[in-house]
Formats: sequence, C-alpha cells, structure tokens
Amino acid sequence: MDKPLSFCSGRAWSWTSNSSGSLWRFGLGTPLQCRPGWREQQQRTFIQMRTNLKVVDNSGAKWVMCVQALKGRRGVRLGDTIIASIKEAQPRGKVKKGEVVYGVVVHAAMHRGCCDGSEIKFDDNAVVLVNKQGEPIGTRVFGPVSHELRKKKHVKILTLAEHIA
Amino acid sequence: MLAALRSRVISGSLFPPCPLHRPWRQLGFLLRPASTSSSSANGKLGILDLEEVEKVLSDVKADDVRVIPVRNQCDWTDYMVIATGRSNWHVRNIAQALIHKVKQKQKGAERMLLPSVEGHGGGKWIVIDSGTVIVHALDEKARAYYNLESLWTTEISPKGPSQDLEKAIVKTRRRNNSKKPMKSVH
Repeated sequence: MDKPLSFCSGRAWSWTSNSSGSLWRFGLGTPLQCRPGWREQQQRTFIQMRTNLKVVDNSGAKWVMCVQALKGRRGVRLGDTIIASIKEAQPRGKVKKGEVVYGVVVHAAMHRGCCDGSEIKFDDNAVVLVNKQGEPIGTRVFGPVSHELRKKKHVKILTLAEHIA
Repeated sequence: MLAALRSRVISGSLFPPCPLHRPWRQLGFLLRPASTSSSSANGKLGILDLEEVEKVLSDVKADDVRVIPVRNQCDWTDYMVIATGRSNWHVRNIAQALIHKVKQKQKGAERMLLPSVEGHGGGKWIVIDSGTVIVHALDEKARAYYNLESLWTTEISPKGPSQDLEKAIVKTRRRNNSKKPMKSVH
C-alpha cells in the first residue's frame, strides 16, 4: 500500500512506566499495513461485559469485572464509563468485594484516535472507580492517564492523576 | 487538548474541525502558548482571567480561595483555583456565577464559547474548565477528603504505592516462633 508519507502524522514515541507497561502513540493516518508488526499482534477490541480491568486508584479495589457498558453497542473505549463489579479488593479499603460501582476507563488496550490525528493505546485495561455523580471514590490516581479524558469531562480524574500522557 | 471549551454554535455542529479552533491548534497537543496569546488579543473567548475569577469568587463569598500556579508541573493548564462552598447550593452558585461572568463578557458575539462544567448534578465537587484556568468548587468535607492542595503544592509526582514497595524490598530477619533454634546457613 503506497500512501504518501505526508499523510501520516508521523509522530510515534513510547513511554514506559513501572505500573502499567508502555503506551504507544501512532499517526492515525498510517494504514494498518504500515504499522510495524501488524501481522503478529493481537487485534485489540472494545471493553465489554466480562472484561477484567485493573483499578488504578486508592479506593481499595484491585480488579473489577465489567458488567455493563454504558454507551456503545459493541463496547466502550478509553474515556467512557462502565458499570463494574469488584472481584478483588484490599481488606481495608473504601469499597468491598462484590459491590457494583461505576468506573471510568483510563487505560485501554484498544487504540483510540485523538483529535490531532495520533492514536494512543496502552498495554492493559484499567479503570478508576467513580460514583454515580461522576466523583472519584479514591483520592489519588496512579499511573499515566490520557489527555482524552479532558474532552470527556473527566477533569476530576486528571487533577488527581500523577502523570498525564 | 482543546476541547475543554464547548462552543454553542447556532448551526449545530459541535465538534472538530471547527475553523474557530484551528488557529489555536498549531502546536499540536499543547494549546497553551497559542491560546494565551489569542485570549489577550480578543476578549470574545470564554477564557477567564485569574483576576476576574478572584473577583467573582469574592463576590459570591466563597471561603478559602487558593490559587496554585501549576505551570511547571503540568502542561495542560496554568492555574488551579480551589474554593470552598458552605453547602451544595452554595457550590452550585459559585459555578453559576462564573458562567454568568463569562456570558457577560461575551455579550453580543454570535458564537459563545462557554467553559465546561462537570459535576453539576451532585453538588459536592464542581469543576469549571476554561483552558488555562481550572476552578474547583468543593464543599468542606470533599476538600478535606481529596486534599488537592497537598497534591499540587508538593513537588512533581506524588508517589502512591511506592511506600509499600520500599518496605517490601527491605530484607528482614525471619521471626522464629518455634521452639527449635534456627539453622544457620553455612
């Protein structure tokens, strides 16, 4: 496939963190065949019912399983809200195992296009627990979070985050 | 990222690529250098200045207003203003007063650019995001719970779980609760 190189936004860099792995940004204009390793890598898809997600805030939960994707017929992507059930929690936390809570997806293995043409994808799926009004249950968010949350009106999570990518 | 500002356009098409936003986006992600120059150029934009925000907050009688310059720490905003309201209604009133001020500034323009408001439903924590200045209106319990000042006034990245990590790596001698003496490794 010969797409002219000026069509790709051409910006790609990686950032490694201790907690989550690496995240990649690629030009959205690069067609599938131009991305290195497109044949060998898994086709990442949406976050849907029964997806296990890590929890990256200090609310006390560790893993949740998605129970309902609030928007989107096929599933949710980065920045959307889900309803999840807590599968594993720390003993002295604000939430307990088995509770049903809302969450905002902050890491998604599926790439998401940004409005300036680049894409972002993470190595894992992670969520920040939130109550029904949208206020975070925990007080700090660990790991990198993406800029797209600002557009989705999750500025509260951005202010609690320690690193923004 | 740009879309902190919502533009209420009469024709109805909200989101990109609106030609109004293009000149701000020349630098890609960081809209801050471009937007501060353009906001001082024409006052039509919905970006609040720091003095106006302080004036509005003192008019509304918000308690304990703190301004934190976060320009060196984060690149998506310049100033964070934290204000306390005495009740849910008061917090919502602070948010409404700021929006009213922005609307007054832009009277007569055919396109209004309002800052985005989050958390208006439950009145505990409302965030008004206007690009370079972000105003947090909390009530006292929420302020003590989230403790935003300690997050943004201590230096660069406040580490959460690394406390436990340091303790985990430290080698400690095993406690011997049994009656037999410990075998030394030789």
